[in-house]
Formats: sequence, C-alpha cells, structure tokens
Amino acid sequence: MESLNLLTALAHVNVEQGFFYVLAAIAIPLAYGVVFDRNVIRSGFLLIGVFATIAGLFFLLQAQFLGLSQILIYGVGITLVIVIALMLTNARQETGMNPALPANVGLASFVSVLVFTTIYLSLRSAEDWPLKNESSLSLPPNIEMIGKHLMTYYALPFEFASILLLAALVGAVMLSKAEPASLANAGDEAEQAVDGTDRV
Amino acid sequence: MNSAVFEIGKFARLTLLWLCIIFGAVWGVSWSIGVLLPAVILSQSGESGRFWAQLLQALVPVVAVALFVPLNTCYMVLAERRLLALFTVRKGPNRVGPDGAFQTVADALKLLLKEEITPRGADLLMYTLAPVIFFAPSIIGVMPLLAAVSGNHPLFTPVNLPTGVFYILAVSSIPVVGVVMGGWASNNKYSLVGALRSAAQAISYEIPLLLSIITVCLLAGTLDFVQIADNQRGSLLNWNILGGGALTHLGIGSPWWSIAAALLLAACCILLFALYVICACAEVNRTPFDLPEAESELVSGFNTEYSGIKFAIFFLAEYTNLFIVSTFAAVMFLGGGHAPFPGLEDACISGLRGLLAAWFGACTPFQLGWLVNSLVNPATVSQVFWIIVKSYALVWFASLIRATLPRLRIDQLMDYSWKRLVPLALILLIAVTFLKELV
Repeated sequence: MESLNLLTALAHVNVEQGFFYVLAAIAIPLAYGVVFDRNVIRSGFLLIGVFATIAGLFFLLQAQFLGLSQILIYGVGITLVIVIALMLTNARQETGMNPALPANVGLASFVSVLVFTTIYLSLRSAEDWPLKNESSLSLPPNIEMIGKHLMTYYALPFEFASILLLAALVGAVMLSKAEPASLANAGDEAEQAVDGTDRV
Repeated sequence: MNSAVFEIGKFARLTLLWLCIIFGAVWGVSWSIGVLLPAVILSQSGESGRFWAQLLQALVPVVAVALFVPLNTCYMVLAERRLLALFTVRKGPNRVGPDGAFQTVADALKLLLKEEITPRGADLLMYTLAPVIFFAPSIIGVMPLLAAVSGNHPLFTPVNLPTGVFYILAVSSIPVVGVVMGGWASNNKYSLVGALRSAAQAISYEIPLLLSIITVCLLAGTLDFVQIADNQRGSLLNWNILGGGALTHLGIGSPWWSIAAALLLAACCILLFALYVICACAEVNRTPFDLPEAESELVSGFNTEYSGIKFAIFFLAEYTNLFIVSTFAAVMFLGGGHAPFPGLEDACISGLRGLLAAWFGACTPFQLGWLVNSLVNPATVSQVFWIIVKSYALVWFASLIRATLPRLRIDQLMDYSWKRLVPLALILLIAVTFLKELV
C-alpha cells in the first residue's frame, strides 16, 4: 500500500481512479455471480471475492483498518462459516430447484426495488459530495481514532451490532440445519453450532 | 553417540550451505535492483531516470520475497526430512548432490514436470483457484515483516505499516478459504472432510492466537513491527517473552509488590509464548494438529486430488506459513533482530566494520569501497543474522515437535482449544493488563 502511494505521487496521473475502476470491474461481475449462480456454495465463495474487492476499495481510500477488518471478519470469518454451514446441510440436493417461481418474482422485485431506493436516497444528499482537497495521507492515524470512538461515543451501537450479527449467524445455522431434533432443544443454539463442526 | 554427533555435524554443514545460497541470492538480487541499478540509471540519465530508479527500489521487497519463498521452502523441506531422520535414528535423504543437499531441488523439478490431473466432477474454476488463494497470502503477508527483519533498512521501510500486526493477522486468515475451496471443488469425500476439519480447526485456534498476539501488542503499546522489535533492544531481559523490560526496571530499592508484579508478568509472558506456539502450530497444520491432512485417516486431506504444480503450490505455501509464524514469533516475543546479551550486538557491528575496513579500506580508487559499503551494512547484517538464528531455531523446534508428539483426535482438538486455550488466553490478557500497570 505504501509503495502504491509512492507510485501515485510519482506518476501524477489519476492512478487511484484507475484502480477504482479496476476494482469495480471485478466486484460487479462477482456480485452478479453471487445472485445468479445456481450453486449456493459457489456463490458463497464468490461473495468472499466481492468482500475482498470492497476491502481493496477501502485501501484506496486510505481506510486500512476498515479494509483489513473487512477481509478478516466479512471475507473470511462470517462468509466462510456460512459456506461451511451450507456444506454441512444438504445444499447439494437443492441445486436443481428453480429459484424463480412466478409467485415469488413480484414480491422479490418489490423488496429489492424498495431496498435499492432506500439506500440510494440515503446515500444521495441534497448537495454534492463534500470533497476535501487535502491529501488523506496527512490525516491522523485512523486506527487510533476508530479505537477511541468505538470505546467511548459508539460503545452502545457497537455492542448492539455484535449481538445482531451473532443472532443472525445462529439463526442461519438453525434454519439451514433442517433436523427436527434440533428444533426441540432450541435453547442451545450456540452449542449446536459448535457441535455441527465438531461432528466433522 | 558418535554417529549422532557426526549426523548433527552433517546437518549443520547442509544448513550453512543452504542458508548461504538463500540469503546470498536474496541479498545479491536486492542489492543489484535496489542500489546498483538505480545508481547506474541515475548516473547515466540524471533526473529523467529518477522515476525508474524509484520504481526499481519499490520493487525490491516483492522481488526479494518472490526469490526467498521457493529457495527457503527447498531448504526447510530438506531440513525437516534430515531432522526427522536424525530424531528417529535414520539416515535421511543423502544421494542427490553433496550429502543429499539438492534432494528437494530434484523433488521440486519432478513435481513441476508431473501431469496435472483434474478429477471428474470437479468444479474446475474453484479447483484451479484454490492453490492460488492458499499461496498468495503467504507472499503478501510477509511484506510488513520485512522492515522489522532487516532492521528498518531504507529499501524495506516503505512496506512497514503502522498497523503491521493487524495486517498480518487479516492476511493470514485467508488461506482457510483456499483449503475449503480446494476440498469442496475436488469432489472427493476425504478432501471435503479434510477441508471442513481444517476450517473448524482454523476458526477455533484463531481466537486464542489472536488473543495472545493482542496481549503482546498491549504490552508493547503498538502495532508496528519495527517499534515492537526496537522496544526489545538491549538484552534478553527486554524481550517480550520475559515481560518486555519489566525485569530491567527493578532495582534494590523497588517495593515488594513491584518485584512480585514483574516476576508474575514474566511468567505470564512465558505462558503467552507457549500459547502462541501451540496455536501457531494448529494454524499452519503442524503435527499435533495436522488433522486436515492426516495421512493415515484421510489419505492426505484437502489436497488429496491435487497433483503436479498445484500440489507443489500447496506445499510451498505450507512451509512458507511455518516460516512466517516462526519469524513472527521471533519479532514479537524473541527480541527481533537484537542480540540476547548486552554488548554482543555492538561487538558484532564493530567487528564487522573493522573487518570491512581492513579488507576493503584501501580499494577506493576503483570505487570498490563504495560498492562494498553499499553491499554490506554492518547494522543490517547483525540484525538479519539474529533473526535468521531465531526463526530457524523455531522452525527446527517445530520439526522436533513433529517427531515427538502423536496426533490429536478431532474432539480432543476442539476441547483443547475451546475449554483450555481460550480461557487461558483471556486470563492472560487481563493479568497482563493489570500487571503492566503495577510494574
């Protein structure tokens, strides 16, 4: 990354913009692949690729901490656990299913349009993006800032987010396990999750 | 008894030969790309060549690593086979080259020429990508270590990151993806089971590993490898394995609780080092934890179906990862490039400087003096020497463990991580936090 800065400074051309388009050109087909691939496990692996390219975007923006945690947590940790959960359940039998049942198309498109509009409207502010001309290299080290803010101002949302992620993960394992026995003792989800890998 | 000493002597000779080959090559190439060529370009074309000179210098870390990884793997595989032979009272490979020195080169050539087989029903794209994803992190991952290893040499300073430790942790978590991918794409039951075991193992052991590294970072107060290594300057007592200098602050007049805290801190750090070594062994699938590739139960685990160059890449990455965790331990716990006793480092540097002056001091008319001075920097040589000694000592220790311990069962493996190591790591984290303030 540092040598990348050096090259940027040397060449005086928009290397950053070039890299942005390269990463975008990789990320978008991968994201389409996640949606369209019939094989659930393969789309799980493609999702790891998407997260990796997004981590690359964070590096371009000099947000190293964010990029690294993107790889560590999303790219490898969470996605891999989901892929393994899919492997342990009987995902291979479902590859022949037709996902685009006519009854679901209307609802699915409604939800996706709604989500897209919400995100787009919240991202697009009334005025243009505020641009700063100063170099991002002169900013204070962002890992320290993030640490301070997470432990003080954002402590509560941080905890809530972690609980939400845990609940989602456990829920995903529970739902995809498809064993009637496991529904009986649903109080022990975490144990179940460990057991699932244990029995391998 | 005599024959054992004789075999150890042969192993030492072989090691010396290979280390000269590895580090001579890396050193020579780094120097010619980073110093000689830019100097030639600048003297020929002046200012217009500055861009190319700097580009060449920026390429040095990449070229150095790309050259180092295959050569080092050749040596490590050979050393491991010879050491295992030594521990089990056998001869080991001793035919190819002088005393078997080039056995692994021959093996590597054979692997490269072998036919590549893709099993029927395999997912070709995933099958091909898996070794690449497994191998790439070990090349990218060593980058931030280079600056600390070379004593912050100007050529390697650009790859030093203020968040180096975190970077290595993030990058070293990627190979699991390659393992799971390869195991799943091979369309083979043994491979899949090996891959799933590997993922379960990597996720379980990553937690105590991360906690132990976080504790060391807490002790050092930084995530920067160069600073962590520099904090341990001085002597054995300043190393993080003995509490990062807690013992050196003690004097005759210090209060009893300060002495007790320092001693406890040192004990905690030794435990921490043990914890790191155990978890690192599990992370790189070394023997007590080599369930993902247990030959006797799983054929060879996730790489059963791989052959030819793809298998060679898996092999390369595995040994490189072992070397990386050893170097990581050397920098984080064992004082980086600093000598274990006070004064030894200065003695090394001044001795080397004296030798250089005596041999090449008179050669200035031919500019040989400049060449030698730019080629041999006594401070760097001393740092690299100690790093080499410490890293390879840990690598050989891993071989010793491989020859000694039997493999764990999968439930024992999981229990050991979740019920023993994770609590121990959490206790150590809290203990070090408080003891550090008390000292």
